[in-house]
Amino acid sequence: MTLAHDRTSDFLEGARRERRQIVTPEGVSLSVELADYGERLVAFALDLFVWLVLMIVLVVAIVSAIGVSGGSLIAISIALFIAFMIRNLYFVTFELAWRGATPGKRLVGLRVIDRAGGPLQPSAVVARNLTREIETFVPLSVLLTAGKTASGGVDWSNLGIAAWMLLFAALPFINRDRMRGGDILAGTLVISLPKRVLLGDLVERKAKFLFTHAQLRAYGAFELQVLEELLRRPVTPDAMRLLTEVCDKICKRIEWTTPVAPADIMPFLREFYTAERAFLEHEQLFGKGRADKHAKPGAEAAR
Amino acid sequence: MSMPATEAAAAASTTTTAGRPEIVLKSSEFRKGRAEGWLELERLVTRVERQGIRRLSLDELQRLPILYRAALSSLSVARTIVLDRNLLLYLETLSTRAFLAVYGPRANPITGLRAFFAQELPAAVRSARWHILITAITMLLGVVVGFMLTVQDETWFNSFVPSGLSGGRGPSSTRADLLNREIFAPWPGLVESFGIFAGVLFNHNTLIGIMMFGLGMGIGIPTIMLTLYQGLPLGAFIALHHNRDLTIDFLGWLSIHGVTELGGIILFGAGGLVIAEKMLFPGRYSRLENLAMHGRLAGQMAVGAVIMLFAAAFLEGGFRQLIHSTPLRFAIGFGVGALWIAYFSLAGKGQRR
Repeated sequence: MTLAHDRTSDFLEGARRERRQIVTPEGVSLSVELADYGERLVAFALDLFVWLVLMIVLVVAIVSAIGVSGGSLIAISIALFIAFMIRNLYFVTFELAWRGATPGKRLVGLRVIDRAGGPLQPSAVVARNLTREIETFVPLSVLLTAGKTASGGVDWSNLGIAAWMLLFAALPFINRDRMRGGDILAGTLVISLPKRVLLGDLVERKAKFLFTHAQLRAYGAFELQVLEELLRRPVTPDAMRLLTEVCDKICKRIEWTTPVAPADIMPFLREFYTAERAFLEHEQLFGKGRADKHAKPGAEAAR
Repeated sequence: MSMPATEAAAAASTTTTAGRPEIVLKSSEFRKGRAEGWLELERLVTRVERQGIRRLSLDELQRLPILYRAALSSLSVARTIVLDRNLLLYLETLSTRAFLAVYGPRANPITGLRAFFAQELPAAVRSARWHILITAITMLLGVVVGFMLTVQDETWFNSFVPSGLSGGRGPSSTRADLLNREIFAPWPGLVESFGIFAGVLFNHNTLIGIMMFGLGMGIGIPTIMLTLYQGLPLGAFIALHHNRDLTIDFLGWLSIHGVTELGGIILFGAGGLVIAEKMLFPGRYSRLENLAMHGRLAGQMAVGAVIMLFAAAFLEGGFRQLIHSTPLRFAIGFGVGALWIAYFSLAGKGQRR
């Protein structure tokens, strides 16, 4: 079924999500959508922003508590230490308390899950976030402070660290599941979990137009689902034009000779959709499902 | 073809009898009977996602797994009989969200932390004893090499010890310098020692440790090299003091925090080696599977290492310069070391996980 979904979204939106299967402890396989690179970057930036705000508040609090006379050095070193702790605890705490989401991930709609489909273990959350320090913060802080130690000649350690940073930054791009080092280590996967609403059934119960078996055999599941998506779109002049075109094509293909009045286009298509779905679902139950109009009946069952 | 009455009705739209037949779709009937349960589950899951599972009442908590399993079974059926794309996608997403709500991580941090310290951490360390031994031997090798070279020719000192670490000590230091400014230097005060020194040391050591750990992903060779490299300055320091007849006092000065600190560093390195081993020798699993199974052990060891380094920074910044007696320093250093060993080798041993 997954293939059919993807084909439809590919056809209509020109984009498809990478999917992976996980098997729940009940033995049902669920197909999950992998998170995009962009989504993950945005989520990370949002988390960094939250962390930064937290830090600024804390530093102001510390400085005001100690007072400027107590020496700014000690404030800085305490702030550095707290920054380190918060940075590491922030991700771990939120991913534990919010079931695999941080504030950034939640805003973008991402979740961390166990790759094998089991429960997300606390140790996995700890492992995947500890390595975050090596993958991002260490190279970042080195790059930011690199200017300070600039002396004559080539700084090999900085070059090495730049290569190091590139290697780790590239890790999600060079594996199929878009895992960073921490994900590999912890056996986790970052998925995108959009909220979907259950829309009304498009089925039209009162039949005005009648179609024969021969006419309904013209299409398969793919065409049916494209038609469904088109019918679910809001009715605008543009959408109406598209539907008229679709209606003409369907009439031509199934040799529907009676012209359909413009006011009847919507009802006609909905009824055709109903009849087609009833027919195809019935055929599918008998092992004669069709993936699309080119497929032989029953070919889908073999796949 | 003979069909039962309902099957005939499902395909009723195709009959060309006179009048307007009522169309009954199996998938529509299927949906009508179950949609209520799906929507209830969706409301529950949304609340769990927003407010956490603790905010559900007892009744709702009991409903959640029942509704979840019902949704899973709906999904399985829908995959075979339904062609409604919206319904299929909705059920797929709903099932995944409910799955994550039902099988989320243990949300109680207290229970999690207790299990971690009482059982998981010591067990992880015990399971990596060979890696720890290898790391310790490697570091010892670094110390020996650093010592042998520096004891003959003190100019090696400058190449082994980075200028940031030497703190003004070097081949030009005299015995009195080392004794008064370093080993038995006066306590610099609470602010200086805890606030700055301990904090900076902790950050520095943890960075190195995390590097050793993360570099384990480069099949362990960088970890071994970094471990060796950590031993070199230590050996150089010992040689410097040895040449000035201060070996015992220096070792006392070092051991009060060093036993814990080196323990933490070694634990980090051993964690890196665990990662490397699981990558190199995956056994009958794939490399990724094997890493996923054992990477968590390594992660737990790294957390233990961070805690050790924290304790070391505390000892170093706070206590070292307060105690001006070499035997007492030895006693504290190795006493704490014995405590660590006892903890890691004994804690939670009798319990089955």
